[in-house]
Amino acid sequence: MNRFSLSRCSLLLLLLCLSACYQLRKSHGGGQLSYTPDTNRKINPSDILLPEGYTIAAVATNLTFPTAATVDDSGRLYVVEAGYSYGEVFLTPRLLRIESDGSTTTIAEGQKNGPWNGITFHEGNFYVAEGGELQGGRILRISPEGEITALVENLPSMGDHHTNGPVIRDGYLYFGQGTATNAAVVGQDNADYGWLHRYPDFHDTPCEDIVLSGQNYTSANPLTNTPEDKATTGAYVPFGQATTEGQVIKGEVPCNGAIMRVPLQGGELEVVAWGLRNPYGLALSPQNELYITENSYDVRGNRPVWGTGDVLWKIQQGSWYGWPDFNGGIPLARLDQPDSEPPLPVLARHPNKPPRPAAKLGVHSSSNGFDFSRSSSFGYEGEAFVAQFGDMAPAVGKVWSPVGYKVVRVNVETGDVQDFAANKGRKTGPASWIKNGGLERPISVTFNPGGDAMYIVDFGILLMTNGESKPREKTGVIWKVTKKQ
Amino acid sequence: MKLKFTLLIFVLMMAAACSSRKGVPYTEPLQTREQEVLQGKVLYDRYCNTCHPGGSSGLGPALNNKPLPGFLIRYQIRHGLGVMPAFSKEVIPPEDSKKIVAYMKAVRKLD
Repeated sequence: MNRFSLSRCSLLLLLLCLSACYQLRKSHGGGQLSYTPDTNRKINPSDILLPEGYTIAAVATNLTFPTAATVDDSGRLYVVEAGYSYGEVFLTPRLLRIESDGSTTTIAEGQKNGPWNGITFHEGNFYVAEGGELQGGRILRISPEGEITALVENLPSMGDHHTNGPVIRDGYLYFGQGTATNAAVVGQDNADYGWLHRYPDFHDTPCEDIVLSGQNYTSANPLTNTPEDKATTGAYVPFGQATTEGQVIKGEVPCNGAIMRVPLQGGELEVVAWGLRNPYGLALSPQNELYITENSYDVRGNRPVWGTGDVLWKIQQGSWYGWPDFNGGIPLARLDQPDSEPPLPVLARHPNKPPRPAAKLGVHSSSNGFDFSRSSSFGYEGEAFVAQFGDMAPAVGKVWSPVGYKVVRVNVETGDVQDFAANKGRKTGPASWIKNGGLERPISVTFNPGGDAMYIVDFGILLMTNGESKPREKTGVIWKVTKKQ
Repeated sequence: MKLKFTLLIFVLMMAAACSSRKGVPYTEPLQTREQEVLQGKVLYDRYCNTCHPGGSSGLGPALNNKPLPGFLIRYQIRHGLGVMPAFSKEVIPPEDSKKIVAYMKAVRKLD
């Protein structure tokens, strides 16, 4: 072998090593523990790193799957327990008041139709987004005495993602409705989630008429007992149905992957924006503009998508935001994928060019509930504080190391993202992974009406064992952050 | 000569790509008024942050201890590496890639 050939072989070998580095590496997600943590979660605020001048304390512990908090006009703190977690754990959703000594008082209990994903207090009542995994999503009004009235029912929530929010502006209640699937095509992954066996005909519904490109995907058929059975499925149709080029899918309201609104006193649903995969967090800026967080694609199912970050969007009335053919304004067809060709568009025509994101957030960070600072007594006025639940690797895809498990602050004008509250140590990850008493899985952030205190709702421990979600009851915490005066 | 240089680049890039460093949260903002660094932060957030949040590892490896000189980081931005996509001059012009490198060097000093 001459010198030139040797050099070429060396270069080829190096290139192979380089391209294989990611593929060969195992996933190192924050829920992938190599040990079994104690049933009693350790709580230690000093394990949490904050900017100089801020302090944090745990104000409630031993909660089961808490997802959101609100404060009434008397300054009392309330929290909702979801009553459902990934991993097919169904419990009773609850609205709890957190007393000054950290104990809880139950205000209302829901049906086994969680997850209760969000809450807001407005003019004497609570408004709750009921996720609706079993019976469809609902928007609930709950009186201080615990009387529950449904403002909206039968939302298409029985899939991967649920009903989220709400926020109230100018006499309207705004909420998010997640998609049934990862990328518009029902598949084996939805059977793994549990819902495909319950609702084999369930699928995504667009808000407006769409025209399909006719992309179809063949997979194993989990609805039969014959292992070798295959099924071919297109976008926006039930599992096992193929689609054709030019096929029109009629739009309906309510729909999936959308922000919708309803008059506070009840009435017709309206679509505010659509083309959003899972619009989990909703918040109003100090200028009263609506922003949302979108959980982006996973590497799973019939149409896996790799490397797409979560997005913070400013919502423009009537716009389509790109799901299922874009991420953060970029066409999926332009994204390199490690193990496959880029996903081809499932829509023959796109309703509009998607807007530009306010900010891009970590891939698989699960950037969820957020709120804006409105007061100089807390600082960072006008910035959004986003809770990052953290990755659910390897079920959502492989990660190099844990992503999220902290609260970041975002300048929505520049897209600048900065850590605000995160666990101390040389590694990023949940407390159970780092083995300290800090943050586990922050899921939402709420400021009190005075704006001088921020509450972080920490869902608690959720392990990813053998690729399955294993949430731990009574490990949820509410943290309170204040600025030292 | 050119081949040797290319080989050197790839050896260095491989070492950087397979760094075992995880990452550390930075809750303090950068204490700088240097416009190149501040603009680099905005560009980093737009193009790099989703896979390397705050310079830490995430979907991809950490960059906040990347032992590469600036010209090699710019080479990697332009040509990609492994599963990392390449960013063309139309997406990240040369002057912007220099700003990103300036920010990455500033982050490295925080450690």
